[in-house]
Amino acid sequence: VTSRKLLAAGLAMVVLAGACSSAAATPSPAPSTAATTAPTTAPASQPASEAPSESVAPASPTPLAADPAEAVIPNVEQGAEIGFWTFYLSPTFDPYIKDTIARFEATYPGVKVKWEDHQASFKDDLNNAFNAKTAPDVINLSVSEGWVSEYAGKGVLLPLDDKVDQKVKDVYFPGLWKEQLIDGVNFQFPWYQGLNVELLNTAILEKAGFTAETFPKTIDGLPALCQAVKDKAASLCTIRLTISDLLAQMVYEGNVKVLSDDGKKFTFDSPEGVAWLQMYVDMVKAGTVDNTVLTTTDDRVGLNAFIAGGSPFYASGPNLARQVKDQNATLYENLGMVQTPLGKSNVSGKGLMSLSVKGDTKYPNASIALAQFFTNPRAMVEFAKLVPVYPSSQSAFEDPFFASAPAAIEDSARPIAKDIIATYADIVPTVPEKAKVNEIVRKAIESALFGGKGAQEALSGAVAEANGLIK
Amino acid sequence: VTTLRRRLIPYLFLAPALVLLGIFVVYPIIAVVGYSFTDFDIVTPPVPVGLDNYRALLDDDSFWLSIQHSLIYLIVTPILIVLSICLAIVVNRAMRGIHIFRALYFVPAVSGSIAIGLAWTWLFDRNGFINSVLLSWGLIDTPVQWLANPSMVLPIAMLLTIWAGVGYYSVIFLAGLQNIPEELYDAARIDGCNDIQKHRHVSLPGLRPQITFVAVISSLAALKVFDEIYVLTGKTGGILDSGVTIVFYLWKQAFVIGEAGYASAVAMALLAITLVFSIVNVRFLERGQGEA
Repeated sequence: VTSRKLLAAGLAMVVLAGACSSAAATPSPAPSTAATTAPTTAPASQPASEAPSESVAPASPTPLAADPAEAVIPNVEQGAEIGFWTFYLSPTFDPYIKDTIARFEATYPGVKVKWEDHQASFKDDLNNAFNAKTAPDVINLSVSEGWVSEYAGKGVLLPLDDKVDQKVKDVYFPGLWKEQLIDGVNFQFPWYQGLNVELLNTAILEKAGFTAETFPKTIDGLPALCQAVKDKAASLCTIRLTISDLLAQMVYEGNVKVLSDDGKKFTFDSPEGVAWLQMYVDMVKAGTVDNTVLTTTDDRVGLNAFIAGGSPFYASGPNLARQVKDQNATLYENLGMVQTPLGKSNVSGKGLMSLSVKGDTKYPNASIALAQFFTNPRAMVEFAKLVPVYPSSQSAFEDPFFASAPAAIEDSARPIAKDIIATYADIVPTVPEKAKVNEIVRKAIESALFGGKGAQEALSGAVAEANGLIK
Repeated sequence: VTTLRRRLIPYLFLAPALVLLGIFVVYPIIAVVGYSFTDFDIVTPPVPVGLDNYRALLDDDSFWLSIQHSLIYLIVTPILIVLSICLAIVVNRAMRGIHIFRALYFVPAVSGSIAIGLAWTWLFDRNGFINSVLLSWGLIDTPVQWLANPSMVLPIAMLLTIWAGVGYYSVIFLAGLQNIPEELYDAARIDGCNDIQKHRHVSLPGLRPQITFVAVISSLAALKVFDEIYVLTGKTGGILDSGVTIVFYLWKQAFVIGEAGYASAVAMALLAITLVFSIVNVRFLERGQGEA
């Protein structure tokens, strides 16, 4: 029994204790008994755009033959048995994952891989596993949700910079190799990438006087667009704040310097920070955005609103156009897709998924080899052929597949994917006490958006509170 | 030896239950007490911090807000009692198809709370059923963002709890009503009582044990509310924490923010509150049974 499970059970039992003591023969009340079960069953927040696709069952191509050129990691431990966890890839991609593992085992004889896919409870399972010291050797972590920095910050991931040859590092786009550094150190191999696009409901946009071509290229244009959507199309914009990492959103969208150079003070109450927040405050005051979507942690709330046909656009991954196709054929006929408007940082985003190695693995070289193998150009091209995700290495884009004309709208970004991904970079500094600081910032932002507090007052209060957490 | 064996045998029969109770109830509670004095993020080992978590609780506005919301939530208890009694009285009559009505009213009680919560989320969605009806009737010009309105989150969640609970509790009252001797109603009629007076002077006193019982379990259930908030607010607790109850706050601290040590301290505070409630309720229950 792990401490984590004990904690969940304990919290639930403590809640129950009072109830049990009231009358031994009292039956459990039927309605509203959530507290006893919810904490252990509550699904983790899972951005819809994170999973490559849930609705597509890709054809299983002929497995690639093993190629000795893929064996780029030396001194792999013989007899190693390594655990490998992925996030939301089974059963859709079972053939691909199993074929790739088989090729890896043929490429590195003597190494065995035990693969498991975890889904809604991925983070709970992983926390449990770390606590019980049974964590897998190679872990699929989301960069965009900040999981690499979260676990690396807790000291449970293996630093890679001094364990991987420079020629192997050079395979990846430089911005992706450095996409989630902790104190300047990298802890992940960049895996499959997504493109940040806006799915467009061109029917609503046309009513508002916009087209895909005139859709704003920068976020400064969103308030005017949303006002037009409200006035002329009687609809609301579905824009979602990155509630789980608001400081990152400030950095990308507002070019806000969130932390002083010496890391001793938060600085996100600067004029840039206030201007960024004020833009959203003004949109809320104008009643041009769906407030439920704006503050939800669940990407699917906005996606579902978009798929239902009730909103003009939604920032997502191109792969999710297929969900539109499956669930709303009428909308699919009117579907457009453009690159997400750039923020003031002019950086379009950071990577999507990565593979990390646990810090105390018994087989560091074998684990590094597996993480590198799945992220190498050959494996990535095969993956990209199955679903609209994109490789993390420049050479992978030299495959003719990426030059082929896209047949469907969800593939329409393929020819420009390389140029977009090449610009990805993590420009957010390592934030101390990140989860606590984010909660402080969330409250401050909500108090400005909905509580009538001024943007400056809200952010300055949050800075003062967050500074108290820096030791 | 025989005496010893005779003494031990009951414990032998009790042993399986005691072992399970020890593993799944007693030890976790003790563990949570221990964690409440630590800085524990689940992934790495806990670090002792003394009373820091409890000191932080006292200064934590969100914690006090969550307690306030949980206490407000207790309003569902008297409403549930009144509505359940009314419903029980309505269905406590011999008429064709009454069993179907009784079963229908009970349906929410056997439905999953997450499923009910999702259905209600769709009802109150910007493009949902309620807005569609209001728009079609011309009562509103633009869709109302019900669940994005901080003043509406808690009332909607409470309404859901009441809707889901009234059928269940009415069954308890129905059983109570059917145990009241018909002679008492006959005597009331002879004394000149009309229908309302009959229920006031016969049904309500006769239902006192059930009322006390329902008050106990529904108030404890209200204190522990989580599912409704979790689903209706999309796991956020609502804008400006408008729907955050104490159990939701506990969950968020432990499993979203990763402050399991602090969440354990919140759990201990909740334990104290529920114990006080339980003691008060048991006193009422005992008094009610004594007088019944």
